[in-house]
Amino acid sequence: MSSLETINWINEQFKNTNELVQKNLEYENKHILLFYIKSLINSEMLQKLIIKPFFEMSSEEQFNLYLQALPQFQEVQSKEQVHLEIMNGNILIVIQNEFYLLDFKLAKNDKVNSTSVETTIHGSQLALSDNLMTNINVIRSNYHQASLSVEYFVKGEVNQHKVAVIYDKEKVKNDVLDIIRKRLQKVDKQLITSTTQLGNLINDSRFSLFPQMIMTERPDRIVYNLAGGKVILLVDGNPQSIATPVVFFDFMTTMEDNYHTLFISLFLKILRYAGLFLSLLLPALYVGVTSFTPELFRTELALTVAGSRVGVPFSSFIEVLFMLFFMELLLEASIRLPKAVSATATTVGGLILGTAVTEASLASNIMVIIVSAVAISTFVIPVNEMAFSIRVVRLLLIIITSVFGLAGLVLGFFVLIMYLVNLDSFGETYLKIYTLSKNRKTTEEKT
Amino acid sequence: MPSKKSKTKLFILVIVPLITLLTGCEFMDIDKDVFVSMIGIDKSDEEDKPYKITLKLYVPTSSFKQSPEPQYTYITKSGETLSEAIRILETYSDKELEFGHAKLIVIGEDLLKEHKASEVMDFLLRRPDIQMISWIAAGRPSAEEIIKMVPQGENAAYPALFNYFDDIGNESQYIVTTYLFDFRRRMVEEGIDPILPIIEKNTSHFKINKSLVLVDKKEPHELPTLYTGIFNILSMNIQVADLIIKEEDGEGEAFIAKIDSMNSKHKVIVKNNNNIALEIEVRLTGYIAESKHPLKMKNLSYYNKLLEKVAKEKLTEFFSEMTSVGIDPIGFGIDYKSRTLHNKRMSSEEWKEAYKNAEIKIIIHPKLKSTGAIQ
Amino acid sequence: MSRYYYYLILINMVANVIASVPAILLHNHKNGSVSAMILAVVAGTILITIYTRFFIAFPGITLPDLLKKTTSKWFYNPFIFFLALMWFVAGLITLATFSFLLIRFLTPEMPLFQISLIIILSVIFGCLMRTERVLYTIELILLIVFPLILYIFFKAYSNESLEWDFVKEAALYVNQFPNIHSFSSCFFLFLGVVNLFIFNRFFTKKQNFNWKHITLIGFISTLNLFTTYFIPIGFNGFENIDELVYPWITTSDSLRMEFFMIERLLFVFLLFYLGIAFLSILIHWHVSFEFLKFVFNLEKIKFKGFKIGKYIPIPFFIGASLLLIGKLNEYQLLRYSNFFYDTLILFFPLLIILFIFIKRRMKYAKQEKQN
Repeated sequence: MSSLETINWINEQFKNTNELVQKNLEYENKHILLFYIKSLINSEMLQKLIIKPFFEMSSEEQFNLYLQALPQFQEVQSKEQVHLEIMNGNILIVIQNEFYLLDFKLAKNDKVNSTSVETTIHGSQLALSDNLMTNINVIRSNYHQASLSVEYFVKGEVNQHKVAVIYDKEKVKNDVLDIIRKRLQKVDKQLITSTTQLGNLINDSRFSLFPQMIMTERPDRIVYNLAGGKVILLVDGNPQSIATPVVFFDFMTTMEDNYHTLFISLFLKILRYAGLFLSLLLPALYVGVTSFTPELFRTELALTVAGSRVGVPFSSFIEVLFMLFFMELLLEASIRLPKAVSATATTVGGLILGTAVTEASLASNIMVIIVSAVAISTFVIPVNEMAFSIRVVRLLLIIITSVFGLAGLVLGFFVLIMYLVNLDSFGETYLKIYTLSKNRKTTEEKT
Repeated sequence: MPSKKSKTKLFILVIVPLITLLTGCEFMDIDKDVFVSMIGIDKSDEEDKPYKITLKLYVPTSSFKQSPEPQYTYITKSGETLSEAIRILETYSDKELEFGHAKLIVIGEDLLKEHKASEVMDFLLRRPDIQMISWIAAGRPSAEEIIKMVPQGENAAYPALFNYFDDIGNESQYIVTTYLFDFRRRMVEEGIDPILPIIEKNTSHFKINKSLVLVDKKEPHELPTLYTGIFNILSMNIQVADLIIKEEDGEGEAFIAKIDSMNSKHKVIVKNNNNIALEIEVRLTGYIAESKHPLKMKNLSYYNKLLEKVAKEKLTEFFSEMTSVGIDPIGFGIDYKSRTLHNKRMSSEEWKEAYKNAEIKIIIHPKLKSTGAIQ
Repeated sequence: MSRYYYYLILINMVANVIASVPAILLHNHKNGSVSAMILAVVAGTILITIYTRFFIAFPGITLPDLLKKTTSKWFYNPFIFFLALMWFVAGLITLATFSFLLIRFLTPEMPLFQISLIIILSVIFGCLMRTERVLYTIELILLIVFPLILYIFFKAYSNESLEWDFVKEAALYVNQFPNIHSFSSCFFLFLGVVNLFIFNRFFTKKQNFNWKHITLIGFISTLNLFTTYFIPIGFNGFENIDELVYPWITTSDSLRMEFFMIERLLFVFLLFYLGIAFLSILIHWHVSFEFLKFVFNLEKIKFKGFKIGKYIPIPFFIGASLLLIGKLNEYQLLRYSNFFYDTLILFFPLLIILFIFIKRRMKYAKQEKQN
């Protein structure tokens, strides 16, 4: 590779931008050529580590050796690599017809955020940052194993984002890793901007109701997943990671389960599953009982329900859908709104809508109680994505119940279980009962 | 994995009939139902329409807190059969009659005297929506009057009559509780006779302390208050009972034993020649609740003897009446059947005869543990 | 044995508590039901032992595969098709019974067509799942449903109204010649094991089956039969027990929960038994689907490049079952299921001869390979 040719090629590549700086330094028979993009590099470091020594060193030989000794040093293999690395914040140095790349990337996004989605009381309050290298640094400093491996891919034809695939080589299942590599090869999207987007792209089932990867921002959860043999995917510029393969029960655990004593975490778990069932079944149960089988509840309760429905103009399933619709609107609105305004939204929605609807007898009192119970219990589900799925499934169950009654509700619930069992997440059964003896067997097989 | 396209096709295959069904389905809201609270069945005065049905219906109010006074409506109709009367009653109400919450069925005394209980029972059982755990009782003078009465201080959603029968409210020893399924099995089975509580009406409240034993082809036999209590002790229906103990010569001890735990066993002992003996063993544990004279702790064994004596007397009285009339609410007949092979049993006539002449053996284990908080 | 094996046996036993088996038993309550039950426990346990032993010898191989290896095509294709029909009917009996039940007690206003359609639709997609996924589903649903059913049984046993004198009276009818119909319906409870015809595919590891397992199965089945037969008698009396069309429904309606939101246990019983019925139909029809798949080579049928083969039986299943449920009434259902059970007591013991034949051929084939 002749130097002149390469330089011309580089200039050719960057001719559409005016940010490429080409600097020619000559002093006491030393001569180097620098290429960099000004906005991407740390000019202080450049001054301290390159320019100052250049004027102090006695010979070009010595400076050459000095450069190779620098930790930011990187050998050049191809022209394309040069192009890419310059775009990534490297400096290209041409000295004695040799090309060196030095990583002087200036990253303003490497601050570690505090947790915002998965907040806990116990444990670390810090999440990931927007910077890939910082994130890997965070993970590695939490997981001290030599077997931790990182593979890099560049995805997104236009924006050329870096994707890291992290796993523990000793624990990961190789077929899962193969599937992920294969699917990553196939991704040919123009723009990759977030981890979850990538996750959707490498999932095969687009119509799936349930998440097949778990999104997390907590380093402790990442480490926990790594130790469990999962594969972590990170995209540069994203404070979230995704872990795969997952099973249903992953979505129902929080990291805090391990931080509490046994009984407390058991209690919290029971609470959580109760919340899950409640938010799934309660509205549909209301429809089934009020419209098909009023004998189900004991007399006092049935009378209360019947009494509170006096004067409501809709039939029960319209009433449920109507109230749920407003609840979902409220939920969506409070996510999108800035924090300062969202409190107003809750007040307007919760207080004014809630009481006014019953005053105007557009919905029964009991319906308002049910909807709020459902809303609260939806929040108990620890992973957000699962809560989204539950919200959709809930609607389906309401529809089935309003056609087929309580039998429809029960059967619909069984079909949901069947659907979950039938789902795959990268070769793993999504929902099944794992027992200790089974685990023991698999470890025996490995050894 | 099935291919995506066929999956969507299947989805459509499922969804289209679903939606078409949705439009035509029978959708019935709870506020279009009216709940029946009690059913009363009487003999009517008309010749060709012997049955008269009275239904007590809940009137739903939007909030029970705002209107604590109970509200009911009543509908009454006579008919040739019970279902005919119900069918006409359905036209009296703007809403669908919902029998699933009917918890009490009152049968008029006149109807029971005419041996119509099995027809009534057949109707009640054939309807799938009537609970098997509804209580069944006899109404005096008529079911209609009992049903139409609302005593003062009644809760809005829970009629006062229910409290007499469920185990949570009133626990008096004189109330017999009979569920519909129990009534049925006593009716169809030979060897145990159905027993119903009698609900009587006072000016402002109910009185339930007697019971009625139904016998095939005979006048129903009424058990007075004392015998109703004894029946309850023997069938272990109740948790607490009071027994009045009095020495005969008026001067002696007189106290009330509060029995808080009782256990009774009964069995039939078959002797030769179709002679039987009924053996009843009762264990009464409790304390003394009330006394005319001061009591001494050290005399407890004497009090126990007194209790034993009195209980024995009363039970013997009770059983001699049962056997002489030939009614068997305790179920010696099935006890006998559960002890002998079916091909070696005496015939039902023989059994009835044997029961009438049965020897009665009563064993009482009195266990008064204290004289109460004072001596 | 793997725990999944027990699920297969257990579901067939428990599912029939609500179906026609107790009705048939109680119908013959004075004609030798008790002795037939005792006889059936012995015969059933022996049958389970023989069948299990046979399939343990060929881990992971289904009956169609075995037949393919050892017999010729003119025999095994019609034979397996016949089996498929049989399993379809077995599922259909449960389906029809449950449709009638739900119509009668849960949603009387709904048309029969609609209620049977929802059961069929919910089951039928499960039948297309892989065998191991069917087993996982069974485990999960059992985990939800079974504790409540045990609770109901507990509630029944601990109820004061349960009159043991009736039970004793009924038990005294033991000295009679066993009734053939009672025997066949009890025997049917033990036939959960024959689902191994297909489900053996899952048990790829060599299983261990000894007298301990046999005792356990015998114990569970005795307990189950006892509950099935004697609890309704204890609650409803002995004399006219045969007049009840659904003895267990009447029994569960005689139970009361004083303090819970739901007072009548009947509805809890119905809704949770729906789960057991669902699983029972799922198992039977899954096996039926797999047989059909084998007979007609459905996996290979393609339409415009899509494998549609395995969906072909679906419309037939839906159509046939809706048609039959529409035509049957409760009495006919009881009679035909009685007839169905009667044929089974001949059929499945006779199959043992076929098993001996297969075992010999397989041994012979093995020896030849070694030589």
